[in-house]
Amino acid sequence: MTARRQLWSDRLRFDMGAALAICAALALVPLFVSGPYALGIILVSIYFAIIALGWNLLAGYTGQFSLAPAAFAMIGGYTTALLGHYLHVPLALGIPAAIVSAALFGWVLGKLVLNLSGPYLSLTTLAFAEIARVVIGNSHEFTRGDQGMHVATLTQSRIGYYYIFLGTLVAVLVLLYGLLRGRLGRFMMAVRDDPVGASSRGIDVVRIKMIAFCVSCALCGLAGSLYGTFSQLVSPELGLLQQTGLVLSMVVIGGMSSLTGALLGALLVYLSSEWLRGFGDVQIIVFALLVILFARYLPGGLWGLAARLLQRGRA
Amino acid sequence: MLALDLLANGLIYGCFYALMAVGLAMIFGVLKVVNFAHGEFFMIGAYTYVLVSLKLGVPPWLALPGAAIAGALLGWLVERLLMRPLYAGYASWGFMKDEYAVVVTFGLSLLLINLVDKIVGPYSFRGPPLIDVGRFALGPVMLTGQKAIAAVIAIALMIALALFIKRSVWGLQIQAVAQNRLGASLAGIDATRTTSLIFIVSGMLAALSGALLAPLVNPSPDIGAFPAVKSYVIVVLGGMGSIWGAMIAALILGVSEAFFSVYVSYDYRDAFGLFILVAVLLLRPQGLLGEKGREV
Repeated sequence: MTARRQLWSDRLRFDMGAALAICAALALVPLFVSGPYALGIILVSIYFAIIALGWNLLAGYTGQFSLAPAAFAMIGGYTTALLGHYLHVPLALGIPAAIVSAALFGWVLGKLVLNLSGPYLSLTTLAFAEIARVVIGNSHEFTRGDQGMHVATLTQSRIGYYYIFLGTLVAVLVLLYGLLRGRLGRFMMAVRDDPVGASSRGIDVVRIKMIAFCVSCALCGLAGSLYGTFSQLVSPELGLLQQTGLVLSMVVIGGMSSLTGALLGALLVYLSSEWLRGFGDVQIIVFALLVILFARYLPGGLWGLAARLLQRGRA
Repeated sequence: MLALDLLANGLIYGCFYALMAVGLAMIFGVLKVVNFAHGEFFMIGAYTYVLVSLKLGVPPWLALPGAAIAGALLGWLVERLLMRPLYAGYASWGFMKDEYAVVVTFGLSLLLINLVDKIVGPYSFRGPPLIDVGRFALGPVMLTGQKAIAAVIAIALMIALALFIKRSVWGLQIQAVAQNRLGASLAGIDATRTTSLIFIVSGMLAALSGALLAPLVNPSPDIGAFPAVKSYVIVVLGGMGSIWGAMIAALILGVSEAFFSVYVSYDYRDAFGLFILVAVLLLRPQGLLGEKGREV
């Protein structure tokens, strides 16, 4: 019995169950919290959770570190905004288009660097993120620069948006669960743990990395696009490196290579960052310090610790 | 005539880029990881220079070594506190070497930017120039006193560094550890101390680059981002870990950027680095002087 509990598929099912339990708890929140501000905060943390889950698929499960998740969210947001502004494309097409365009940008970047081992992906995505933000901010005629662009909205109701985000989150979780449970997920982890060994077993390492990267970018694009329609504004600030830092700290603090870890991290980090706002703008300082300490002393994150304790109890 | 002016100015900026990129290349050469907090070494140097000379009234010539010391101290601390696990048998679950380095240095970068932002303030400073000479023409080249003197110091530092790496015992030890860490240890070289030395030298050079540029760029907390991005491009162009490659690539980037910003587009001059990066990755991923990396 104890041996069975250690199986990867069991751990994944447990992980997914815990993540869905958190989603169920989130679904009940509007019954108790009615203030639009409080709901808005949880909504934004769900936005970050989707990005964190996408980044975690790439970094946690496939071992490839992109430093541009926020930049891809920005690309998603701008795709919807530009299509709506210039071509009057309705949101029903604009949001899927954001997914496609973020994935395409990811595909092009991936083509360049994913066949190389080493830190090329981190370097290129970081350069890409900074430069994409500057280019969008400088293209005043086309994107209105730092002023940002207006985006149409799906619904005016805040509770409506809350459930749209929550529904998207559940859909993303189901997608990731399906992906990780199958062959592809195992291939990704094989690539992370031992690329040479994986390719000696006939796994097309570059292709697996590419799939993970494109899915991750697409999820970021989706999150950015939805967030744009919610706030009815996209600006280059969506792609700030600080935002990437926030995503990274969510995953590292919550727990790498875990669905619940990324989700829990996003909620904890964003909610406590709102709370820390009362003490002056120290949020990023606290989280950056925590990231370093977690990476150094508790690499499994909070969920890694909790899951070990919980599963020991169950076994 | 304009071309000559651009060439000279490009070479000068190339020297500043080289000061940063060489440190990054040395760190990569020895540890095979990228220091994502390198831009913050630059920022700390610029701030130390500006604050020491403005707030303490120290003459700028003395603030410059102060910036070098601050950078060296930061480099030493980073190695001592954060990099040791990379080679001290850190067999922990879940995290691997590259991942650890990316997460920790990226976290450090955010930490330093926001600490400075909180403590010193988000506004930018104007650094005091080293000498008070306005614009003058040197043949066809237009220079300011600060730019000329900073360029002279930067070139002197590059020559000193080249001699240090080529001739001194420590430089030879650095080369040995970069080639083969285990082999160097077997030959009696203290690899840990050498790594520490590399971080001290890297921190010092990046901080000096920041201090020399402080009067020209008006430092703010996130000033390090673009010099760092350019150093990453340079290190890839020169060949990961190659010190000489980084020096040459820095000059190439400085000059070609100067021409690009005049003849093509000033607004998108910072995007030019990305074109170079893409071109290198497509045509010659091992860089100018690098060894061919393993492709998976």
